Amino acid sequence: MPTIMAAKNSKTDLLQGTLDMLILRTLLFGPAHGHQIAKHIQRTTDDVLQVEHGSLYPALHRMERKGWIAAKWELSRERNREFKYYRLTPAGRRQLSHEESRWKQVAAAVARVMGPAGEGEI
Amino acid sequence: MSAGNWLGSLLARIRVGRHRMQDLNRELELHLELEAEEQREAGVPAEESRYAARRALGNAALIAEDVRAVWSMGWWDGMIRDLRYGARTFRKNPGFTTVAALTLALGIGANTAIFSVVESVLLRPLPFTEEHQLVRIYSTKDGVPLTPNGSGVNGGPSTMDMRDFAQSNHTFQQMAVYDTWRKNVSFAGRQGEPQQMWVGLVPGAYFRILGVKPVMGRLFTERESYTGKYYVAAISAQLWRNQFGADPAILGRTIRINDEPYSIVAVMPDVIPEWMEGQPIQIWTPFGFADSRGDVWTETGREGRGWHSLGRMKPGASLQQAQADLATIAAGLAATHPVDRGIGVALETLSETRAHDLRPLLLLLMGAVSLILLIACANLANLLLARNSGRERELAMRAALGANKARFVRQLLAEMLLLSLIGGGLGLLLAEVGVAALTRIHPAGLPQLSSLGLNWRVLMFTLAVSLLTTLLFGLVPALTGTRLNLVEKLKLGSRTTTSGSGAQRMRRALVITEMAMSLMLLIGAGLLVQSMLHLQRQRLGIRQDHLLVGHFYLPGVRYPDSGAITRFCDGFGEKVRALPGVVEASVTTIYPPTYNWTQMLTIEGRPATRVQDVPTARFGVTDAHYLTTMGIPLIRGRDFNESDSLDSSPVALVSQELVRRYFPDKDPIGRRVHIGPPVFMQLPPGTDIMDSSDVTIVGVIGDLRNAGLTSAPEPQILVLYSQHPLVNYGFKDIVIRTTSNPHAIIPQVTRQLHALDADMPFAQVRTMDEVVELETGSQRFTTALLALFAAVGVLLAAVGIYGVVSFLVAQRRQELAVRMALGATRAAALWLVLKQGLAMAAAGAAIGLLGAWTTQKFIRGILFGISPLDPVTFLGGAAFLLAVAAIATAIPGSGVMRLDPAQALRQE
Repeated sequence: MPTIMAAKNSKTDLLQGTLDMLILRTLLFGPAHGHQIAKHIQRTTDDVLQVEHGSLYPALHRMERKGWIAAKWELSRERNREFKYYRLTPAGRRQLSHEESRWKQVAAAVARVMGPAGEGEI
Repeated sequence: MSAGNWLGSLLARIRVGRHRMQDLNRELELHLELEAEEQREAGVPAEESRYAARRALGNAALIAEDVRAVWSMGWWDGMIRDLRYGARTFRKNPGFTTVAALTLALGIGANTAIFSVVESVLLRPLPFTEEHQLVRIYSTKDGVPLTPNGSGVNGGPSTMDMRDFAQSNHTFQQMAVYDTWRKNVSFAGRQGEPQQMWVGLVPGAYFRILGVKPVMGRLFTERESYTGKYYVAAISAQLWRNQFGADPAILGRTIRINDEPYSIVAVMPDVIPEWMEGQPIQIWTPFGFADSRGDVWTETGREGRGWHSLGRMKPGASLQQAQADLATIAAGLAATHPVDRGIGVALETLSETRAHDLRPLLLLLMGAVSLILLIACANLANLLLARNSGRERELAMRAALGANKARFVRQLLAEMLLLSLIGGGLGLLLAEVGVAALTRIHPAGLPQLSSLGLNWRVLMFTLAVSLLTTLLFGLVPALTGTRLNLVEKLKLGSRTTTSGSGAQRMRRALVITEMAMSLMLLIGAGLLVQSMLHLQRQRLGIRQDHLLVGHFYLPGVRYPDSGAITRFCDGFGEKVRALPGVVEASVTTIYPPTYNWTQMLTIEGRPATRVQDVPTARFGVTDAHYLTTMGIPLIRGRDFNESDSLDSSPVALVSQELVRRYFPDKDPIGRRVHIGPPVFMQLPPGTDIMDSSDVTIVGVIGDLRNAGLTSAPEPQILVLYSQHPLVNYGFKDIVIRTTSNPHAIIPQVTRQLHALDADMPFAQVRTMDEVVELETGSQRFTTALLALFAAVGVLLAAVGIYGVVSFLVAQRRQELAVRMALGATRAAALWLVLKQGLAMAAAGAAIGLLGAWTTQKFIRGILFGISPLDPVTFLGGAAFLLAVAAIATAIPGSGVMRLDPAQALRQE
């Protein structure tokens, strides 16, 4: 059974929710194709979060289906060939702010648990 | 998600799947290229860069698999899986499944059956092209339709008025006047008995208006249509097949109608439905034959209303425009012609006439089956709630293990879908049986039902109803069930008592609703049954028992004058009276409860001056044995006797109602009455049917019902056919009073008739009881159905309350055991349980009474002799329902009586 279809929400699958958030966040700066998104995430997280490129595509398609992002084959001016560009939809913007606030809550909770003098195992 | 949406997106996904995957491949291909390029730029050798890119991407096949799952069949696969799982759980719970499916099937079956009636009577398009253009035209007098007795068919304008309508209107393509007559028909080449059949007397325009073209042959020409000299006939394809073996050389062969040969010129397709003319018509002859005196198309004809009428409006013309158009013309005619004073016009589309007096009955039945469906659904919801509360622990466990709500809802959705398919299928079977039964029992008075059947429109209805109801009533409780509070459920689940108070409240509310609705059904059925009894006990003004009536027709060819007709009728009456087992017999034109021959009267010394003041009475033509045969009391004066003859002065009997209305303060005996319109109406000479024959009133008789069962008796006047040659027509009835079963005498009477004339059919032979039954056909039909529905409703409601109380008893076992252990008597414990059931029933009854009170307007119009708020029926229905509820509660309640406290507590 393809588990992805079980409409998992962010509560049951934290990691997936995080990936979604990262993708949405990336697209906030403008349309991008898959490779650009992967590279952007990799670069901005200083290679800490190694996104396996493969897991990106099911996530992209899933979000497209949910209507958070829209996809279109468009000509890249730099390379003069067509790429599939993803862009944020208004629903995607809403989702992003939702994910962010949830993320902040979790982060704050984790921070409280770990305390100010955390030895920084992360 | 609605079923439609769901199906739509499913199809879209399957269509789009292939394209998506190609799209993904291209996307991944590009990704690998870019990645490889990047690797090369970072210094990786060219051949290795491709592998590195692939490594970075991961398993492409897996990615494709995941993406495919996102877009296409994934959801569907899951659904199939859920359906399978649902089927398995249903198999494991045969009790639940059976009850749920049967409940649903009852509701859906009843609705489908009644909808198929509605479909055939109200919704199905007429079998004619541009049917919305077809209208019937009726005359009104002082704004009231002339339609006799609501028959819907006749009541049309006079021939001359129609001719003027046809010439001056702007909204019609074509109009026609026609009629249907009962005639003796025999088929050439076939020896033996002629039959009485209904013959349409129509112009060729009749078929042209309907857009019906002959299978072979031609329509009547203009000349044939309007001059009764051309003996041509059209026959139906059915008659052609049955009587002539579909002979291809049928044109030119002859049939005999009233002993005259007609040449067949056309075979017409079987498209004109029986309800349209009130009779199945298989033979048509030109309209000219309805013009026996040759004056229909002269000014004389302007007075003769009551023809059948048909018109086809121009494309784009609305009924309102046509109505206004003809009303203007009618106003002009009323101003010009004295006989048209006060006469207006009313239009009705042909499709409206199909339903006419059935509409309120159908609406009532539709309402009743909707209640049944709601009751069934409430039961279903209840069952599901009970089942889900039993499953709550399982569900809570699954939720705790990570299953989410959407997943769970889909599971329930699949189960509901399965259930609705099973229930709908069974319901369809049930409806099939029901429709077959309806077709068989449909009374002769309802030809609209003859083409009843399950067609695609009915199937769509069934599908929609089953999906909608199951999803609505299955999912809503399911969703309330999924508001799971894990911890609480798991804690609660450690005991067998479950089910939060929310679900409990909902179940009780559902049972109360069921009770209320079944009470509404009960009250409706109770009212209708009583109305029916009132109708059938309606005093006809005669002795109804042991009375046989039959019709015969003396064709003009062999009985050319009144003398011949009188001789035949007197002779026939004489022979029948001589039969053993016959008390008395009379040849007549009239018998209750409905008789439409009305005449204007002029009472000597009291001439009317305005049309609306002209006295009218139902005009019966009989022999001297009428009162004694029918058992009509003679109030004053004398009866007819054998000495009243053509040579003596004409006499008449009048009813008490006539005396009340037209002789309020004088003794009517001995007074003279002229039968026919008053002088001021200026009829052309020779057109007054009674001519110079005034009659003298010799007796007053009791009122007899002559305007239908539900109407008060109209004034009645009786004269002797022997004294009035001008109205001594060939159509006659015989009424026979017998000593024993009237049916037994039929063969002997028929033999006597054939002894006098071997070619004369004895038709429409019925007992008076059967005549009354026929008249109440649609009422009995509705009553029987509503009674059946009420029974089903009460049964379902009883099952519902039984289920809930059983559940309550099971739930409260421990509590009751504790109470008993602490000294409560069994009776007190039982009462605790009963109280809950009865409280629900009482609440339901109260709401039901209120519901019946607010919906009374739907039933008021079809009730006779009983108020729609009859208190006895209301309270009786409520009492009955409470009794049923008490029994349904007591059965599971009695389990309390067998409860062993010690054991029940140990089980814990």
